[in-house]
Amino acid sequence: MRFLARLGAPVREFLVFLGDQAHLVAQTVRYGLKLRLDQLGAVASQIRLQIRFTGLDALLLTCGTALLLGAVTLIQAFTQLSGLGARSYIGLLMVLIILRELGPLLTAVLVIGRSGTAIAAELGTMQLNGEVDALAAHGVNPYQYLLLPRWIGVLVAVFALVVFFDASALAGGFLVARFKEGVTLGVYMDSVRDALVNRDLLATLLKVFLFSGAITFHACRHGLAIRRSQTEVPQAVTRTVVSALVAVFLVDGLVAAFLYA
Amino acid sequence: MIQVDDLALGAPDGRPLQEGLHLRLERGEALLLLGPGGCGKSQLLRVLAGTVPPRAGRVRVAGIQVWPGEGALALAGRVRAGFVFAQGGLLSNQSLRGNVELPLRFAGASPAEARARAEAALERFGLAPVAGLRPHAVSAGQRKLANVARVEAFGPELVLVDDPLEGVEAADHGRVAGWLRDWIQDAAHTVVVALEEPGAFGDLTARRLHLSPLSPAEEPR
Repeated sequence: MRFLARLGAPVREFLVFLGDQAHLVAQTVRYGLKLRLDQLGAVASQIRLQIRFTGLDALLLTCGTALLLGAVTLIQAFTQLSGLGARSYIGLLMVLIILRELGPLLTAVLVIGRSGTAIAAELGTMQLNGEVDALAAHGVNPYQYLLLPRWIGVLVAVFALVVFFDASALAGGFLVARFKEGVTLGVYMDSVRDALVNRDLLATLLKVFLFSGAITFHACRHGLAIRRSQTEVPQAVTRTVVSALVAVFLVDGLVAAFLYA
Repeated sequence: MIQVDDLALGAPDGRPLQEGLHLRLERGEALLLLGPGGCGKSQLLRVLAGTVPPRAGRVRVAGIQVWPGEGALALAGRVRAGFVFAQGGLLSNQSLRGNVELPLRFAGASPAEARARAEAALERFGLAPVAGLRPHAVSAGQRKLANVARVEAFGPELVLVDDPLEGVEAADHGRVAGWLRDWIQDAAHTVVVALEEPGAFGDLTARRLHLSPLSPAEEPR
């Protein structure tokens, strides 16, 4: 019996976690829909802050990473596939590797590292200091003031970062193609355009929506679960990184399976 | 205004603090919660505010079921409540002015109206010079006064005050005590104050509820 209990405990914990996540999402949507026009100003200022922190402040890091990744992808392609006509696969490689998979995925990883951790630590500290209770006690709904703006802010920021990531990666790829193989911009862009299908756009939008939700609610859940001491804050941050990464990779796999399998 | 039935309170670590607590408070009434530290006064205030669930029992505020239920979320937008916390209770990423304005903005006040009411309240408690600073940059006494200013500006119908003079500098005791007297005398507000001893508030016309661990006994009016 003890063995069975030990076996069942993680499963139960996982189910409780899923239930908590579903509850947070449902409550945020529910109270988000109840937000009044005259409350929008207070919430909008929080959304702006979140977009600035998650999006604008991470723009240089994201673009730099993407530029290098795009360049490295084509350097490897030209090196490994030089005898197989790599030039004709430039667009396909960039679309398959960068736009379809790594763009949204690496953007999500960067956002988890920068913003997911920050959200968990911030909410955890607020919880410990009684700030969340103070909000609720004065009629400020924490779902509307804390969770909704973070979700919308992360959603907008992730969308913008994925666009910049893809553009920078394509730019990095083009620089390599231009200087290593003498490919012109027109040929390069035609090659990318030919490889792109509408499903790629749908997949990217779907991933942006699901990734941003997963990152925000994992961070909020772990942050708000802090109750007793400051030592729980780093633990919540670590849990956020691990569980959000697992969720993002799982979602990525599911989207690929549903849309491309 | 407040209806509490068969309430059981527990400490955050699960220790029982109170059992079988009953309480009725009409609109405009004031109640002093008296008792030694650790007997559950602050916890009772938090339960009434809807931020902490009780171990058992029912709580209704203005006819709205708070517990069992959604707690403060059930009251949001329906009952205007204000809480003067014993310590903390201010958003650390907002200035004192921002902290005072926020409940007003959420209650539907325009930015200009919220700013005017916040400025007036901060002025009343001598916080105008530090209104633009965040809580960590001011003294503990000023943080407590900002708590009071937030309630003053918000104008709630239910006011919960946890140890009104804790952390307040001696020079400001009269200011806070005077403010509390005004609010208790105003029939538009229902006020619950938690205190270890009546002290400076001994002459207040208010009901008293003495709490001692696990043996509540309400004094006659």
